[in-house]
Amino acid sequence: MTGTRLLLYALRRLLQAVPMIVIILIVNFFLIHSAPGDPVDVLTGSMETSEEYIAELRAEFGLDKPLVQQLGIYLWKAAHFDLGYSMRYRQDVTGLILSRLPATLLLMGTALVFSSFLGIMLGVFAARRPYSLSDNAVTFIALAGYSMPVFWLGQILLLIFAVQLQWFPVQGMFSLRVPSHGWARFADLMHHLALPAITYSVYHLTLIYRLTRVKMQETLTLDFCTTARAKGLSEASVVRRHALPNAMLPVVTVIGLNFGFMLAGSVLTETVFAWPGTGRLLYEAINARDYPVLLGLFTFLSLMVILANVLTDIIYALIDPRVTYS
Amino acid sequence: MLRLLSLITAFALTSVVVPGGTASAAPSQGGTFIIGLEGEPATATGHLATDTVALMVASNIFNGLVSLDFNFNPQPDLATSWDISDDGRTYTFHLAEDAKWHDGVPVTAEDIEYTFNDIIAVAHPRAGSWWPNVESAVATDKHTFVITLKAAYAPFMTIIGNTLGSGTLMMPKHIYEGTDPKTNPANFAPIGSGPFKFVAWNRGSHIELERNPDYFKEGLPYLDRIILQFLPDAASRLLAFEQGEVDFLHMYIVPFDQVARFRKDDKFRVIERGGEGAATNEFLLMNMRSGPLANKDVRHALAWAIDREQIVEKAVFGEGKVAHSFINSGLSWVSDGSTDVYRSVDLDKANELLDNAGFPRDADGKRFDLRIALASGRDYEGRADEIIKDNLAQVGIGVTVEMSDRTSFIEKVMRQWDFDLANQLFTTGPDPAISVRPRYHSEQIKKIPFVNSMGYSNPELDNIFDTESGEIDREKRAGMWRDAQTILFEDMPALPLFEIPVVNLVSDRFKDVITTPFGYIQSREGTYFEE
Repeated sequence: MTGTRLLLYALRRLLQAVPMIVIILIVNFFLIHSAPGDPVDVLTGSMETSEEYIAELRAEFGLDKPLVQQLGIYLWKAAHFDLGYSMRYRQDVTGLILSRLPATLLLMGTALVFSSFLGIMLGVFAARRPYSLSDNAVTFIALAGYSMPVFWLGQILLLIFAVQLQWFPVQGMFSLRVPSHGWARFADLMHHLALPAITYSVYHLTLIYRLTRVKMQETLTLDFCTTARAKGLSEASVVRRHALPNAMLPVVTVIGLNFGFMLAGSVLTETVFAWPGTGRLLYEAINARDYPVLLGLFTFLSLMVILANVLTDIIYALIDPRVTYS
Repeated sequence: MLRLLSLITAFALTSVVVPGGTASAAPSQGGTFIIGLEGEPATATGHLATDTVALMVASNIFNGLVSLDFNFNPQPDLATSWDISDDGRTYTFHLAEDAKWHDGVPVTAEDIEYTFNDIIAVAHPRAGSWWPNVESAVATDKHTFVITLKAAYAPFMTIIGNTLGSGTLMMPKHIYEGTDPKTNPANFAPIGSGPFKFVAWNRGSHIELERNPDYFKEGLPYLDRIILQFLPDAASRLLAFEQGEVDFLHMYIVPFDQVARFRKDDKFRVIERGGEGAATNEFLLMNMRSGPLANKDVRHALAWAIDREQIVEKAVFGEGKVAHSFINSGLSWVSDGSTDVYRSVDLDKANELLDNAGFPRDADGKRFDLRIALASGRDYEGRADEIIKDNLAQVGIGVTVEMSDRTSFIEKVMRQWDFDLANQLFTTGPDPAISVRPRYHSEQIKKIPFVNSMGYSNPELDNIFDTESGEIDREKRAGMWRDAQTILFEDMPALPLFEIPVVNLVSDRFKDVITTPFGYIQSREGTYFEE
């Protein structure tokens, strides 16, 4: 019963998202086109060319048409699931995004799972002995991690673990000089994944840690926890069975929200570690003023954020029996 | 003891020399050469390659008709020999008879004819600058190809050898005929005749090429594989090179402040050749349309006040040298540094010129303000501008430095002409007729990138530009260009600041990496691995 209800709810939320996406598309379209710079200049490269050739390129990509007409064409195509054609790569945008997506999902997924799990563990640990030495130490480190710029942290990790200790490779997803296969390839991938995933995790980890700590600390002082202790339950089981499920609700919301942020925020990590994902595609598309790729990526990101929100709502309903959707 | 020592030294020397000697006689096959690129190329073919990264891929998959040596004399590539008629109008190319495309189809003059007429002439962005000189391009038999020019045109062979600038890499007719050369699927899985075959393009990561065992040049190439990896972050790219994950970084992405370190380390080599073809200078462009810079004396005053030696010292860490000509000294036959009269800083002269030009100092000692536009990405330009700002402050000119991203910079400086001073790199090679003329000819005052954004016009100079390329004799051409360089320094539409340092970084395990004036983008057919 609740299962069908949830499903119906999810479907309705997704349908509601459609007008939202159209609005996002239109706003993005005008935003991107109002940025200074001309994609044609990137296409002609670093050499001088003729006015005729530039006019030809404009016509080829429909840039010579009035902006509103360009928008109309774009929306019409988008309605048919066609995100257009990259000016720089002369390739289908959907294909281009899909080819870069697995790398980002792997990096983001690893970082999200790792940071959420460790963040909650550390948060619970710290909350049990608030303001103790260990709590203060973890909190201090977390604060440092929270305020560290990603690209700087990435460079520092590279210098320590790739250059000094030589434990990890500097960049890329696989060793290219000696290609490997099967399990060796998987191990190679994990070897390359470690540093970017850690770099990518730190901000999220500290956020989850801080939130969990505060919520747990709060929850542990509530009456029902006191009652549980009075019943003679061990502190461990008070934490695990009573406090944690309650403290988790806002944490789950933040993890869900962060999903979207992380997808959009992969630019810096992917650039520092030459990780071939969508973040770098976004960075390149901005530099090249590759309008179709930019719009495609933004649309795609909005979709993912909406999906993540719906998913968060569903998880919410599953872990909190008080929440029902109608 | 001393004798023993010298014996040991002698022995050590021979043991070093001997393997080197044998190896250079017959380099062995094998090795994977990993080239670090600053970004992902837009294409892997010759005819659409408009930037460095694309050509670094294409030059290994395709051949030109000829290549160029360091003196800019043509060398055989697909054409094994050629004849030029006495009037300098007819060029007959004799092609290698055993060359094959990577799919096994033989290369014939038909392919060459098709490449020139149906691909380069219609699809290459720069064809407009030289193709109008061509009257006809025809295959006369299976292995003979003839180009007839409308009139003698001196830089023609250089253009044919300049594969990046002219798009003159030869393409297979049987793959492209009847298709749109801009969208043909082979653009992403190219089939060429070159030393390496295309294997795979891993989007966002790298392009892989493998040895072409049927290459028409006997015994070549040596390398088994070439990998071109896309490494967008400058700091990590350098780390990857240092850690041996990457074997080559070309001159435009080497951070000049780090070069000294690699010179001392024998795991690496710093190759200071291979940029002569591009012959790139850093310029300070001056918008001559209005304001103080419309006045020639003001422009001269700037040249007297700006300390270019200091810029070389501090902005490029002593790696480059002051540009004493509008043509880079890599083009030694035509570059003439004696035309630069602003050899040393002279603030008195600058002040005097500014006073007389009607720009006296006000109560605060200030004459007027100027803006310098620069694009982000080349940190040496930012450092140079700080020095320029200091220099000009001393003669009462206030300077604001305005940085934007490259695309916005082009829009502002080259399309809207909204600038006073601007930093810009200009190639001046491989022939000034194709890369110096378009920057200063009055017919090139257009709202498009990399032409005459300064609004500069001098009929006398236009006349030299229009007549010099018809002169076949190199000596006489050099004389005409000397006049052009003198005029340019007198009119000062731009101040040549410094020559971009030619410093390519390569792992010492790879030899013969750079053998042409286009070393940074050249084919690696002769490169070999040696442990």
